[in-house]
Amino acid sequence: MPINSETILKVQELTKSVQLEDKILELLQPINLEVKAGESLAIVGSSGSGKTTLLSILAGLDLPSSGQVYLKNHALHQFNEEQRSEVRAQHVGFIFQQFLLINSLTALENVMLPAELANQPDALERGKALLAQVGLGERGNHYPSQLSGGEQQRVAIARAFIANPDVLFADEPTGNLDTSTGVHIADLLFEMNKDIGTTLVLVTHDEKLAARCQRQVVMNSGVLTENKTLNKVSVEAKNEPDEIKGEFAEHETTTDKIGS
Amino acid sequence: MTAMLNMLKQNWVKQSLRLLHHELRRGELTIIFLAIVLAVATVFSLTGFSGQVKQAILATSTNTIAADRVLRTSREASLEVIEKSQQSQLAMARKVETNSMAFAGEQMLLTELSAVSTSYPLKGQLTVKTSFEQIEADVVSAPPLGYVWVEPAVLTRLNVNVGDVLELGVAEFTVAGIITDIPDRSFSPFVSGPTVILNIDDIERTELIQPGSRVSYKYLFAGDESNIEEFSQWLRPKLNEAQRFYDAKKGQNQLANIVDTAEKFLSLASMLGIVLAAVAVAVASRRYGQRHQATVAVFKALGASQSHVSKLYVLHWSLLSLVSVIVGLLLGYVLLLIGISAIESYLSLEDTRLTYMPLLTAVFTGMLCSLAFALEPISALVKTSPLAVIRGFNDKVAVKFNFKKLVPLFALFLLLLLFSADLVMSLSLLFGGLCVSALLLLIGRLFMSAGRSVGSKAGKSWHLALANLKRRANENSVQLVSFTIAIKLLLLITVIKGSILSEWQQQFPESTPNHYLINVGDDEILPLKEFAADNGIANQGFFPIYRGRLSAINGEITTKVNNHQETDNESAQSEGKENENESEQQQGRRGVGRELSLTRLTKLPDGNTISSGTWWQPNEPNAQVSVESTIAERLDIKLGDSLSFDLGSDSFTVPVTSIREVDWQSRKINFYMIFNEVAVKDFVSTSVSGWMIKDQQKKAAYQFLSQFPTISIMDFGEIMKKVDEMIEQISIAIELILVLVVLAGSLVLVAQVQASMEDRERELAILRTLGAKGSLLRNSTLFEFVALGAIAGLMASIAMEIAVFFLQSQIFDMSASFHFQYWLVGIGAGAGFVGLIGMLSCWRLLNLSSVTLIRRTM
Repeated sequence: MPINSETILKVQELTKSVQLEDKILELLQPINLEVKAGESLAIVGSSGSGKTTLLSILAGLDLPSSGQVYLKNHALHQFNEEQRSEVRAQHVGFIFQQFLLINSLTALENVMLPAELANQPDALERGKALLAQVGLGERGNHYPSQLSGGEQQRVAIARAFIANPDVLFADEPTGNLDTSTGVHIADLLFEMNKDIGTTLVLVTHDEKLAARCQRQVVMNSGVLTENKTLNKVSVEAKNEPDEIKGEFAEHETTTDKIGS
Repeated sequence: MTAMLNMLKQNWVKQSLRLLHHELRRGELTIIFLAIVLAVATVFSLTGFSGQVKQAILATSTNTIAADRVLRTSREASLEVIEKSQQSQLAMARKVETNSMAFAGEQMLLTELSAVSTSYPLKGQLTVKTSFEQIEADVVSAPPLGYVWVEPAVLTRLNVNVGDVLELGVAEFTVAGIITDIPDRSFSPFVSGPTVILNIDDIERTELIQPGSRVSYKYLFAGDESNIEEFSQWLRPKLNEAQRFYDAKKGQNQLANIVDTAEKFLSLASMLGIVLAAVAVAVASRRYGQRHQATVAVFKALGASQSHVSKLYVLHWSLLSLVSVIVGLLLGYVLLLIGISAIESYLSLEDTRLTYMPLLTAVFTGMLCSLAFALEPISALVKTSPLAVIRGFNDKVAVKFNFKKLVPLFALFLLLLLFSADLVMSLSLLFGGLCVSALLLLIGRLFMSAGRSVGSKAGKSWHLALANLKRRANENSVQLVSFTIAIKLLLLITVIKGSILSEWQQQFPESTPNHYLINVGDDEILPLKEFAADNGIANQGFFPIYRGRLSAINGEITTKVNNHQETDNESAQSEGKENENESEQQQGRRGVGRELSLTRLTKLPDGNTISSGTWWQPNEPNAQVSVESTIAERLDIKLGDSLSFDLGSDSFTVPVTSIREVDWQSRKINFYMIFNEVAVKDFVSTSVSGWMIKDQQKKAAYQFLSQFPTISIMDFGEIMKKVDEMIEQISIAIELILVLVVLAGSLVLVAQVQASMEDRERELAILRTLGAKGSLLRNSTLFEFVALGAIAGLMASIAMEIAVFFLQSQIFDMSASFHFQYWLVGIGAGAGFVGLIGMLSCWRLLNLSSVTLIRRTM
């Protein structure tokens, strides 16, 4: 199914289930979702709601049980592991909660990695430039173990952007950081996203962080709903992020189910 | 070259090199690197070292036949043989041996006459002194024409000195020197007298060799092993029944036994060293696979394809292996040099050379270990799902059977086969090892469960330690089996070494005779016995000797066998063993095919035990014979069989009433056939006796014995010293090899402890966070390792006992024994060693601050 030029990510009737010993566990109920190029989308929800499962399918790390997933016209649901790797190398960037830097490589080498995998030229120069942009220009030769958590996540952000991905998937990017560092990292992430114009899909518990995205969806027991309330305040949140309070549960009454 | 440069520009090559560079620098590959290095170094040094020692031992033992191979024949060998040896570029020496009376004035003495060519000896040294006072003996070959070298007994018994004249046959010779060492001196107590050596070109002049004379012609050959082998292949099918072609191993049984046992031990030690190193590689590569999971998952999540990751890791591992193999070879060479320099003063290595074989074997072993043992972990590694970046990493990989898991076993089998060259032994070692490992795994689990309930009653540290043991039962079981195997192999090698050495030392107990008195008349026995008693000379008593042939078994005439490997006499050696496999039967019942030395006795001699039947009572009225067990088995003689003997022109038949086991390893005089008194009462005999004459008793004994000119005295003291010296040299070699095996074993322990380090780090972080004190963590870690080591030690002791039983009874041909003292050593050393290595490995971890620990494990 071709997707229009404005849409970068589209899922239709996507489900995911796993076979347990005595029953089938439905992780994701049929989900429909469209993300436009340049858009920032937050997927929020409680632990075990299925948001990370959805992210891994959207990013091509996993396959759905049924339904279709398109990333820039690539029908990921029909692709094998190798083809999905190719798509990830060309179009996808990642930021993980655990940073997941390769301990045996230096900060600079970690940053260069996606550009090299996408066979892009000037990986070294761009790596250095990006490290400088995240404020670690002098730490390129340091190993991850020699950096603090915040610094490691900055390296991860630089790594995520180096290959100019079309979509950046961030899984709880501030989850392992203290509040203040988390805010700085979030600032950096959104700034760079704005500068580069990447589509951002963010999975988070943090409502303040979610509010900084243009659009939010809520995941609850495998069901995805559009969060209109949060979407309305998201513009204000960009200006006054600290004032946003409250639990997602409170907004559930005002959500519209966007699945089938 | 261009292709190479292009390849270097590939991203996967750059990334692989980058990873290797950083990981080597940061010491993350140290264990796997060391494991391969040690595997290669162990193989290279052990095979190189044992190869050199074998060559040196063989060189020393070839001295005992004065050549690499000897052809002994009752007639002169054909010209064809000599020409072929020349074609094969072999050096040749000739030796003619016969018995003859030597005369000096009125005195006469039966001597063993050796006429040698000027090229004699080809190996070892013939040394003579021109006077008893001369300190350093001269190395000589054949004496000049008209001269002879004689053994000291000739001088004392004939009352002559150097420069005096000796008559041999019809010719006269001048005594030119006193023999101090003959490289191929006979070990047999049944030789006729002291040796006189003359030039082979003089033998005709003596006119001693006439038709019907008892003469033995020896053709000695030496040269390159390949040439020798080619010549042997050519010669063997041409040998007739009166010819015997032998090497050092066949030539002298006592030395051959030592060389054989040493060879087996060195091979076993090398093999065990390699198995240990292979286990270290296996453990380290498993850890390598687990540790790199995160890297692979991240690579894949970022878009690296399966083939990209595979190529990257194949290159990474290959380069690591290559670097390790090269470093291993260098280290092995250094160890080899150290080993060689350590034994050089004991064992002459002048004639030995380092062959390419150890190098090739080491490289092959290193590559095989690194590839076979890494295949499964690395193929599992490159298959790591990118989804792991989201879902996390599973350290405890489900144990699923696949054929890749069999590859290390196959590799181990190949290694065993390579080193043992014995298919059945390799298979039984492999499957035996697997069964033992499975059993150990089970027992280990039981011990750990038992430990948990004991621990709950013990103090806090023990409680925590034993709880940890139980909780990590899966990982600990694997560790436990590795520890057990390592400790077992170390114990095994120690026990086998100990029993080999003590067996060797027992060969010459204090009272072992060093002189044989031959041709003693009945009237001479009493004064000799009195002299021995008065002077405190230990002796074996006197054995009457009859020379005779076994002519029929149960009335069935025995025929001569193809006896090219038969020896002439029973002796104080394990001759019976040597001849087990040869002898093609021609027609009729199988027999001995030569004259035997027979005796009559009333009492069962020392070192003999009756295995079936009964020993006769004194004054038994019926004639009987007792047969030695190996010859009984060889000739299929059973209790109750009738044996017919020809003694001179008479014959008689006697029933077999007992079969005897004889300890041939002792140097005592022993017999295949012993009669009771009545069986041979009508035959005339002379007697032999074995005496232990100490150096300080020698002069008086020789003087006393000179009153009995017909008695021949054989002095074996020098030969015994030589054997003693060799045992000492080989023992040192064995000790040195043990050190290398211990090093290999230690690395397994270190690798195994390192493999559990990440797990421990996480646990320590949690315990620290929960407020556990440093001393509690230190003690519980120590106790956990100590308990693990003690259990491993106990299981290793049990496994060792089973293995030792098998090795002693099947491989080394020794009597099996029980080694309880080593159980204590096993348990104690296991606890101490594993505890120490565990603590050393964890020390840094235990002293990290809580913050650092938590940050490292985040």
